[in-house]
Amino acid sequence: MRRVYLDNSATTPVDPRVVEAMLPYLTEKFGNASSVHFYGQEARVALDRARREVAALINARPNELVFLSGGTEANNLAIRGIAEAAIEHGRHIITSQIEHSAVRGVCDALEKRGWEVTHLPVYANGIVRLEDVRAALRPDTVLITVMLANNEIGTIQPVAKIGALVREERERGRKYLWLHTDAVQAAGRMPVDVETLGCDLLSLSAHKLHAPKGAGALYVRRSVRLAPQSIGGHQERERRAGTESVPLLVAFGKAAALAREELSQRIEHLRRLRDQFEIGVEARVADIVYNGDREQRLPHLSNISFRYIEGEGLLINLDMQGVAVSTGSACSSGSLEPSPVIRALGRDDELARGSIRFSLGKDTTEEDIAYVLEVLPRAVENLRRLSPLYQKSLAERACETTPA
Amino acid sequence: MPYSESFKDHLAHPRNAGEIADADASAELTNPACGDRLRLTLRIQDGRITAARFLAYGCPPTLACGSALTEMLVGHTPGEAALITRQQLTKSLDGLPARKSHAAALAIETLQEALRARALPDN
Repeated sequence: MRRVYLDNSATTPVDPRVVEAMLPYLTEKFGNASSVHFYGQEARVALDRARREVAALINARPNELVFLSGGTEANNLAIRGIAEAAIEHGRHIITSQIEHSAVRGVCDALEKRGWEVTHLPVYANGIVRLEDVRAALRPDTVLITVMLANNEIGTIQPVAKIGALVREERERGRKYLWLHTDAVQAAGRMPVDVETLGCDLLSLSAHKLHAPKGAGALYVRRSVRLAPQSIGGHQERERRAGTESVPLLVAFGKAAALAREELSQRIEHLRRLRDQFEIGVEARVADIVYNGDREQRLPHLSNISFRYIEGEGLLINLDMQGVAVSTGSACSSGSLEPSPVIRALGRDDELARGSIRFSLGKDTTEEDIAYVLEVLPRAVENLRRLSPLYQKSLAERACETTPA
Repeated sequence: MPYSESFKDHLAHPRNAGEIADADASAELTNPACGDRLRLTLRIQDGRITAARFLAYGCPPTLACGSALTEMLVGHTPGEAALITRQQLTKSLDGLPARKSHAAALAIETLQEALRARALPDN
């Protein structure tokens, strides 16, 4: 059976060039980067190179990066780190309704501990409005955390505009307000530049960039103070204690270098195949609804609700034919609740439950898309044939077209 | 994937999908918690179920339970059908994940509702 992986927003296949770069650090180059001897220094050199590569991907300075285990840890360190360090200056945080659970969860936990959190709405297009951010700002606001691009619908948020707003506030003499953005989905799929964005903190994950799981980074702008969330050794300039995973971080560095070199080709390739996919779906399947703005979004992702059917049934039908996609947020597909992101767009429960995320990767081919376009309409049709909602709609349409 | 081969087979090739026109017994129930919906129609002739059809909306176990249930009904009297349990239905699918047991409950409740509605005098 042909297999097509269209779940690159969940994770990406590891690039063979990345595997090659990391392998020596799993075998003969096993040193601890904190050791003074030859083995340690060999690891240190590799780690420094990886740090330069990841920094270059986002136009940061190498010493502004804290290496850690992934996007979730980066978001935890950013949000809790700022909240706890700035506790004397205010306990108000602004975030959006469509953040990844690693941001939403941290904000919820802080709320229980006495912080106040404003959840900015998104509208039918899945994008936060700058005027809402401005209106939500209070004298005791210490942190704004809004993702750069959403993981489920791919919409790109106006982070650069929020960054400009934060700078305006600083020019007016405000000292204790910082901007964090979760760029886990965006990196490698659109240009990410911390200077253009004007953010103070930015989260990255290696496994969304064709490196293995278990590595990530938090960008922390010079002079920003954080309360460390793991304490022990002096690693990562005392912002994240624990021996660095040299092989995983070398892989992250290599993947970042490749993403930077190949960015424009990757974007073009993804957008071309994604658009081809959407045109094909529109021609073959009726009663579909796109979720999220179709212009301001990542090039690799298409989120579609198929009316009258439920997402998990479609997911399993596609899986049985070798096509891997996801429904809801990949992390919460075990839950019976409709996707909170799709609900935030104002969609009803049925559309929220019928949403499927197709996320392409740099290795997706035209043949893959052709195969999905062959399999998907049949799977939708089979499920609709079973659906009492669909049968009802057919009966209603028949009534409408019958002359009185 | 926690689903069995028999489960996937029902999903890929649903048995008795559709609706019986002028059915002798029918019911449509919705699970208020998750919105899953099942419609069951039965043909009953000479005191036995001779045909059963289902329509379902919801998570895959709801579809598979609808399909498996229709297979279990044919040939039985309504009295016998009323005794089919959730456990028997679940077993016919070689089990369901615990978090999906509501699907078997919806199927059995829909069956019982259809049989109850039929027992009511018509006129």
